[in-house]
This record gives sequence, C-alpha cells and structure tokens, in this order.
Amino acid sequence: MLKVWKFQISLFGILFAVILMEATVIPAVWAPLRVDFFIGMIIGQIIFVPFSQGFPFVILGSLILQAFSGARLGLIPLLYIFIFLAIEMLKNFIYLENVYTQALLGILFYCLFAVATVFLADFSYLKGIISPLVAGAVLTGCVSPMMVYVVGRLQTTYEQEHE
Amino acid sequence: MARRSTRVVLLIGAAVLILVLLSTGQYSSSSLGISSVREGYGTFERVVRAPFSFIAGIWNHYVFLVNTSYENETLQKGLDELRVRTMRLQELENENERLRAMLDFKGKFHDFSLIPASVLSQDITHVFKTMIIDKGSRSGFGINMPILNPSGVIGKVIAVSPHTAQVLLVTDPNSSIPALIESSRVKGIVKGRGENLLSLEYVRSVEEVKEGDSVVTSGLLGMFPKGLKLGYVREVRKDDRQIFADIIVEPCVKMEKIEEVFGIAQGVEVSD
Repeated sequence: MLKVWKFQISLFGILFAVILMEATVIPAVWAPLRVDFFIGMIIGQIIFVPFSQGFPFVILGSLILQAFSGARLGLIPLLYIFIFLAIEMLKNFIYLENVYTQALLGILFYCLFAVATVFLADFSYLKGIISPLVAGAVLTGCVSPMMVYVVGRLQTTYEQEHE
Repeated sequence: MARRSTRVVLLIGAAVLILVLLSTGQYSSSSLGISSVREGYGTFERVVRAPFSFIAGIWNHYVFLVNTSYENETLQKGLDELRVRTMRLQELENENERLRAMLDFKGKFHDFSLIPASVLSQDITHVFKTMIIDKGSRSGFGINMPILNPSGVIGKVIAVSPHTAQVLLVTDPNSSIPALIESSRVKGIVKGRGENLLSLEYVRSVEEVKEGDSVVTSGLLGMFPKGLKLGYVREVRKDDRQIFADIIVEPCVKMEKIEEVFGIAQGVEVSD
C-alpha cells in the first residue's frame, strides 16, 4: 500500500514539473505553442498501472490541469478521461508498448483534444492556431514515449524497492 | 468480478464528477478549491525560479553591471506606470475638452491606483486565452479587476487566490468588453476571436468607422474605466443586407509578449 502511495506522490511531482513545462517554459519559447505531456503519462498509466490506480490519477491530474486553463470547469477532465478510456479500449487491439505506436497515439489524441476544445468552446476560428497546432502535435508525439518511459521506470523502481 | 465492480464504480464516479463540474458554470473554479492548486503551483514556480533568479541577479546586478541594470529596471517600471497614467490623462484631456464644449456636463473622476504583477504561466490549451499572475487577493486583486499594461488593456481577473490570480485575456473567445471608437464615439462590444485579434460587434453598418481608428473602453457596466486603449481598427467589412458591420480590431498589447501587468485597484466612475 505504501508503495502505491509513494508511486502516486512521485507521479504528481512529475505532473507539477510537466505543468511548469507546459504553462511556463514552452510558452516562453514560443507563446502559442502547447505541448501535451499528460497524454504520454496516460499511456504509461495504461501500460504499467492497474485501472483502479491509473484512472483516479487521470481524474485528479486532469482536475489539476483544469486550474491552468480558462476552459469551462469539467471540460479538461472530461477530455482526458475520454482519452484514457479510448486508449484503454485500444490496448486490446494494438501493441501499446511500441514506441512508434505511443508517438502516433500522442499525435492523434493531441489533435483530437485541440479539435474537441474548439468544438466544445463554440469557437470557429482555427486559422490562427494551425502552425502551433502542428508543431505541438509533432512535439507531443516525441515526448509521449518519453513520458511512458518515465512512468514505467518509476513503477519498476518502486516494484524493485519493495521486493 | 470485484475488479469489474471497481471499474464500474470508478466510471460512474467520474461521470458524476464531470456532470457536477460542468453544471457549476464557466468560471467558478475558486469556489471549488481549484484555485488552491494554482496557489500551490505559484509557490512551486517561485521555488523553481528562485535559484535561476538568484544567479541571474548576481550576474546582472553585480558581475555584469554594478547597479546600472537595477537602476534601469526601476526606472523602466516607473516609466511603464507613467505611460499608463499618460494614456489615462490623454483620455481625460479629450473628455474635458468635449465636456467643456457641451457646457452642461461636469466630469468627476475618482483616483485609482495601479498594482504591479508578473506573469507566472499561460493557458495549457490553444483555444482559451488565460494567464496566471503572481499576485492575488493579499495584494488587492479581486474578481473582475481590469488588467492592463502601458500599451493597453490585457483582460480581467476571473479567479483569485491569496497569492495568484487568473486573468481572462481580451483575445479569449469568452471575453467581451463595452468599447467605443475614440474619434467618432461609436459604441460597440469588443470580443475576443481566440487568435491575436478582436472584433468590434454591434456597430451599425451606417456608422462611420475607418481603418486605423482607435478603440477604447467605453466605461459601460463600470468594470473597466473609460478611455483605456483596446486596439486599432484593422479591417471594416460592410454589407448592405446586414444591420451590423464586421469590424476586426488589432489589440494594442502583444499578448504573447506580456511579462509585467498592472491591476487597477479602483474602478473609475463618472458621476453627473
């Protein structure tokens, strides 16, 4: 039980570092650019962590992310829960452990997330955000396998420590 | 069997949570304790930033240029504040002339003070345009407080915690501010378009609006003081079949380059 708590606390520590990157560091480099590190963490949760632990982490994590957006309350958790459940379902059909699959899923769900926010926010103007959207999708594809590795590495470390 | 029931319980719990959150309204994060997350992040960000600021401070203020850089920063801040005041004074002067010409009106303004703050972080999504600043209710920031910098209006506070505040930028699709064309005094509503542009809505096609006209806050609703710069008319499209003109406004403030902002502590009201 202690192992689970330590693992979850470490994950939330990583989440705060991720928010620092997403909301402060990356916009300082190029203001309209947004890179989603959380999708990689979700894939990592599905691969390495049981549903009963991974799902609550995604709910809490997305609630934390909600605090850094002007989106309607509940919209960010709704979208990330949808992503979690969609990947959870997809794992029965595709090999999630493959790095390229993780990258492709990162790109796919990043785009879906962006389109869904545009659609749900009743916002019809996409022209101005196309180039940062493409750059963000590519970078999310790159960081997703990295985040999966971080989650997996953390899980293995705590497993070994308690054996 | 137990595993399946845990899943079902978690899924039902998530669905209920989402429904509750979605039913609470657009900007009610402060009432649900989400602001405390921003508060925690603010502290975390300051701790992470502290060593970098310390090293940068030593380099800039002692190694690189003793005192000069520090003096320059202080003067720059003072200059920024003076620019905002000059902008306000310019509008006061215009208003004074107009009122003098009309003879029947007497303008009376309350003084206001500016509270400086720095930007902590930006919105994590593409569509929504918000940012978090490093000052909150302890420094005098409150809900709906106008936020601006020497170039013009930036937005308004939508959520506040003791040490941080969330600002809705004028470019956000949910932002709308009563405004007027400075020269012709034609009134409308400035709305965000999501990208780095605004639109001036509810201006009748018959009204005279030219490209380059300055758009300022009208002071209606009392939230924003009158005469703060919002932007310049970039494009005017008129269609005889439509009642209202399609006016695109370029904001005065480069939203992607904001570092320091000011909050207006007291609203400016005109009383007859």
